[in-house]
Amino acid sequence: MTASFDAIHSLDAIEVLLALCLTASALVCLFDRHLVRACYFFVAFAAAMTAAWLQLGAPWLAAVELVLGVGLTGPCFFYALGHVLPGASSPLERDKFSEPWSRVAMRMVLALAWVVMVGAAIRYVVADMAYAPSEHPLLVAGVVIAATALGAFALHRHLLRRLLAFNLLGSAVFMLLAGVAGTSANAQALISVGLLVAWLGSMLGALLIRQLLHLEGVEALGRDGKPGEGAT
Amino acid sequence: MIWRFGLFDSTFEPLLPTHWALLVALGLPLLLGMLAALFPPKRAWPVVLASVPVLASGLMLLSAYDQAGLLRWHWDIAGVQLSLRLNGLSVLLLLMTQVIGGAAALYTPGYLRLSETGPLARWLWPLMGVVLSALSLIWLATDLLTLYAGLELMGLAAVGMLMLSGKVAALVAGMRYLLLALMGSLTYLLGVALILGHWGRLDLQGLAEVVEPGPVAWFAAALIGAGLALKAALFPLHAWLTPVHENAWTPVSALHAALVIKASLFILLQLWSILLPDAFYAPRVIAWLGLLAIVWGGLLAWRTDSLKTLVASSTVGQLGYLMVAFPLLLGPDIAPLPRALAWEGFWLQLMGHAFAKAAMFMAAGNLILATGESTLKGLAGTSRRLPLSLLVFGIASITLMGLPPSSGFTAKWLLLQAMVISQQWWAVAALLIGTLLTAAYIFRLFRYCFDETAPRHRYQPLAPGMDLIALTLALIAFALGLLAHFPLELMHGGSP
Repeated sequence: MTASFDAIHSLDAIEVLLALCLTASALVCLFDRHLVRACYFFVAFAAAMTAAWLQLGAPWLAAVELVLGVGLTGPCFFYALGHVLPGASSPLERDKFSEPWSRVAMRMVLALAWVVMVGAAIRYVVADMAYAPSEHPLLVAGVVIAATALGAFALHRHLLRRLLAFNLLGSAVFMLLAGVAGTSANAQALISVGLLVAWLGSMLGALLIRQLLHLEGVEALGRDGKPGEGAT
Repeated sequence: MIWRFGLFDSTFEPLLPTHWALLVALGLPLLLGMLAALFPPKRAWPVVLASVPVLASGLMLLSAYDQAGLLRWHWDIAGVQLSLRLNGLSVLLLLMTQVIGGAAALYTPGYLRLSETGPLARWLWPLMGVVLSALSLIWLATDLLTLYAGLELMGLAAVGMLMLSGKVAALVAGMRYLLLALMGSLTYLLGVALILGHWGRLDLQGLAEVVEPGPVAWFAAALIGAGLALKAALFPLHAWLTPVHENAWTPVSALHAALVIKASLFILLQLWSILLPDAFYAPRVIAWLGLLAIVWGGLLAWRTDSLKTLVASSTVGQLGYLMVAFPLLLGPDIAPLPRALAWEGFWLQLMGHAFAKAAMFMAAGNLILATGESTLKGLAGTSRRLPLSLLVFGIASITLMGLPPSSGFTAKWLLLQAMVISQQWWAVAALLIGTLLTAAYIFRLFRYCFDETAPRHRYQPLAPGMDLIALTLALIAFALGLLAHFPLELMHGGSP
């Protein structure tokens, strides 16, 4: 009896550690002004996701994440930065951030409203989470990462930043999906299709960013269409 | 509502030729697109040859449905259930996709030859094939996984097509569209996650039996609705639409406005009829937004100086008509007669708009290609030199304005009848305002075109058939109103 409790306890410790790793790498990836470093942290995040899928007992999903997330989506960002060989300097080292505070505050409020809604929905689906959130560390990490990624998506104008934020939001949504629906065959199929879509979208986005850089220079990436469109 | 989408058990199993027809309808556009990337067709006749088997598969599915009624397919792959259904509505939408897709493909060789399109032109073909295959899959799919895969394939290929022109404006608009479309798909996926977590299944027929109204259904419907509304450019999430069309190639715009945004709307209505049967507020909110969309889209189209912006903004307004019909289709306390009328009017309006908008984009593209001008003022004097392009534009506008005997008229007549019976007077007002605004922006365009005092310009001659293809589409939109009994019968067939 004690042994099995210990086993559950140690599993939980691994899950908590993974959740912390995921959240920390996601935060660095979303808000570090140094773009190349942010991309490295994206790869670290994808690797942590692979470990999380293994931990949740979905080895096939871990393999898909390893191939699509770490192996294919990560290089897309380095290609977009023009940082293909290690040591090569890129014209896109850092991005600038100059948003008025009123807009920042508004977008934060929107992202917060969104996370409250998602949190409430998940509370209904996973009823016991409302009473013991610490027993679902990966689910909690998913909610936190989804909220910050959405906030970052709404906040940033830089195209590469928004692409990164989309990918992190995608991973968080997959984590929530696995959290509420378990790792049934249906859930794994949905997540695999989602990972494929995220890779294709990132590849398309990276090609576009390269082309824009080629035609217009670094400035073109900072402005996303017109300045005054809605947040989400 | 659910039986109208064909979500019930079929009486007959599909026969062997029907399996083949299904395979051809789903796979051949993709294969032909890849083939065309290797050997890009320079003339229209290879495209004609290629579209014959595709259309034949659609007609075979139509006759199979005529004989056997609703058909279903099930597969179980490693514990994942995939299912397709073929009912009257999906046959109709499939045929619409094949005709408009074939017309766009026929239009493409001439267009690519006349406009300087750059080295990326050959990639248009496979992307077009992916879009058409994915659309066919969406009309048939009845589980959330296949719908998701089809939606994403279609969306990504559509983004790829829209930015092929390679101009900076097109790239910026395309990137914005890509990011928003991906966001929309994540929102949709989150809604699907809630459904899967709560009810543990993804097939629509099974879900229709187990879903009960409650917070989970509402949250899932809200998430799915928001994601799909973003992809369908429903007001107020339409801001990405105009810049994207402004810079895209003509056949791409035609396909996108006619079919791609309609697919999201189709999925939205189908899923909401399962998740929110007899909901009061959600369809009403959509309808009020639709009213605003009609006014706002009409005003945008009325005030603009650019021809393509006019056509694209008119899409926003025309989608408003479909949104206004939501309470009649989903709301509580609607008698069977107005619901049936609204159902007919909704799909007839959607199909009429698809054909008319494709024709209109092609006519606008022809005018821009011939004159070299993309503003309304640049069209001055075209009435003498390009009468056929203007005629196509005119016939398509008749459908959009809803003048008799076009399909726009028949559809609005059906919708009006349903609204009057169920006493939704504000919806009647919305329809009338929309007609007036459409007339306003169409006649503003014609005022410029019939300016006889304009100096003569040199016009680039168009490839043969470019006007004829557009004319055929415009005439189909027109004839759908006269021969409406055929599609209407199909829409209602297969009741249990």
